[in-house]
Amino acid sequence: MPHLKASYAKYQNDPNVAFILVSIDEDMKRLQRYINEMKFPFPVARLTTADAEKVMGIDNTPTTFYVGSDGIVRYMVVGGESHGDSPTRVSWYVDQLKSGK
Amino acid sequence: MRRTLFACAIVVATAVGAFAQTPRQQLARGQALWDQRLAKSAIAALEMAARDKTTAAEAHEALGRLYTYKGWLQDNVMPGWHDEPSVREKAIAELKASIAADPSRASAQEALRTAEGYAAADAVDPAPPRPEIRALDQRLQSYQTNTAAPIAEVLGALEARAKAQADPAPYFVATQILIDRGEYDRAMAIAAQGAAASDTFIEENLSAYMLPGKSNGSFARGRSQAADLTGWALFLKKDFAGAKAKLEEAERLSQGADFANQFHLGELARTQNAAAQAREHYLNALALAGGPAPLRQRATQALSALQTDTAGAGGFDKWLEAELTRRRDDRRASALKSLIDRPLPKLALTTVDGRPYDTSSLRGKVLLLNFFASW
Repeated sequence: MPHLKASYAKYQNDPNVAFILVSIDEDMKRLQRYINEMKFPFPVARLTTADAEKVMGIDNTPTTFYVGSDGIVRYMVVGGESHGDSPTRVSWYVDQLKSGK
Repeated sequence: MRRTLFACAIVVATAVGAFAQTPRQQLARGQALWDQRLAKSAIAALEMAARDKTTAAEAHEALGRLYTYKGWLQDNVMPGWHDEPSVREKAIAELKASIAADPSRASAQEALRTAEGYAAADAVDPAPPRPEIRALDQRLQSYQTNTAAPIAEVLGALEARAKAQADPAPYFVATQILIDRGEYDRAMAIAAQGAAASDTFIEENLSAYMLPGKSNGSFARGRSQAADLTGWALFLKKDFAGAKAKLEEAERLSQGADFANQFHLGELARTQNAAAQAREHYLNALALAGGPAPLRQRATQALSALQTDTAGAGGFDKWLEAELTRRRDDRRASALKSLIDRPLPKLALTTVDGRPYDTSSLRGKVLLLNFFASW
């Protein structure tokens, strides 16, 4: 998750971009501790694991969706980053969508 | 119909271990299985022992300790494992059942106090590595450098470690040691045992992975590692057709994202004088994070040697950097497509403290939605 914080620095003052974390934790105490520890600069919401599996087809974490300003899901990225270039990767997706691609 | 059921019952009984018949034997078997971290079979045996008056207190305590571990202590103890909050109540109920069966049972009372302490605590640290397993790992790993020891000793160290804990890791360590010693056939036999052990171990602990994508990833990693090591042993045996089949199997399983496997495919292609393919694999390997430095260096050197005129004016380093960037970009563009090009479904999001989450402010924005779990 630190890579999302690093990526967000570029967009924090951009009114046309929003980052949201959605936790599917079952252990609320652990989640709260994690949030306190990470001090995310963007909101953290929650969805039940069952809903995440059923509605979004999530079967692994982390799973990231990139949604265009028209509300259409454009990219889905599952799992950790194997190429070691996460912040670049995140802004690549966001910039694609900002430029309307 | 009756016959079929009867036949099934025999198969199940054999699989669970027809040798352990008495409750006392079931109890011992359940405890031994849990020592090996074969959770599903351990639970089945302990539940049988819990049904008998003579072993109920001990079996309930063992179950309580097992569920305490699963509920609070197993986070990342094995790759992909997480705590299972759903069994925490069960842990406490089993320990209470043990005390109900034998009110004077001090060990169960102590285990119950510990579990209740975990339930009340803000944070519980995962279980530390077991010293006896670590010692057996170190003994096996010592043969990576102690190349004079007889093979039987290496195999003995493997057997001792595999018996103590049923995960596949020691098989793959031993396979590599045997490959380094030129014992290719034995290495391949051990790799096959490792693949089987990996499947069994994940199956036995399926609930620890929380999501099917995680367990499926672990299944694929175990099989991919076995296929890659087998392919590499075949390559060193100069069975190039066999090596190709196994290394490509590993490539499918790892979705082309395993450094060692891409490096091995590169070495194979280079031996076969397939320069273009070799170049692709070395580049794929280098575009991935990870891989030990000496192997990364060998891949870079091999690439440099394969290089003739394609580098152009910028020279090899510039060309390499451009190629690696292109590969990383391609990887991004091939992100999975399932909800893709469809409207984002309506989500019943809540805030962390359980109130409905208002999403109206997000309308019309480019959105990054990251689903995560802190487990």
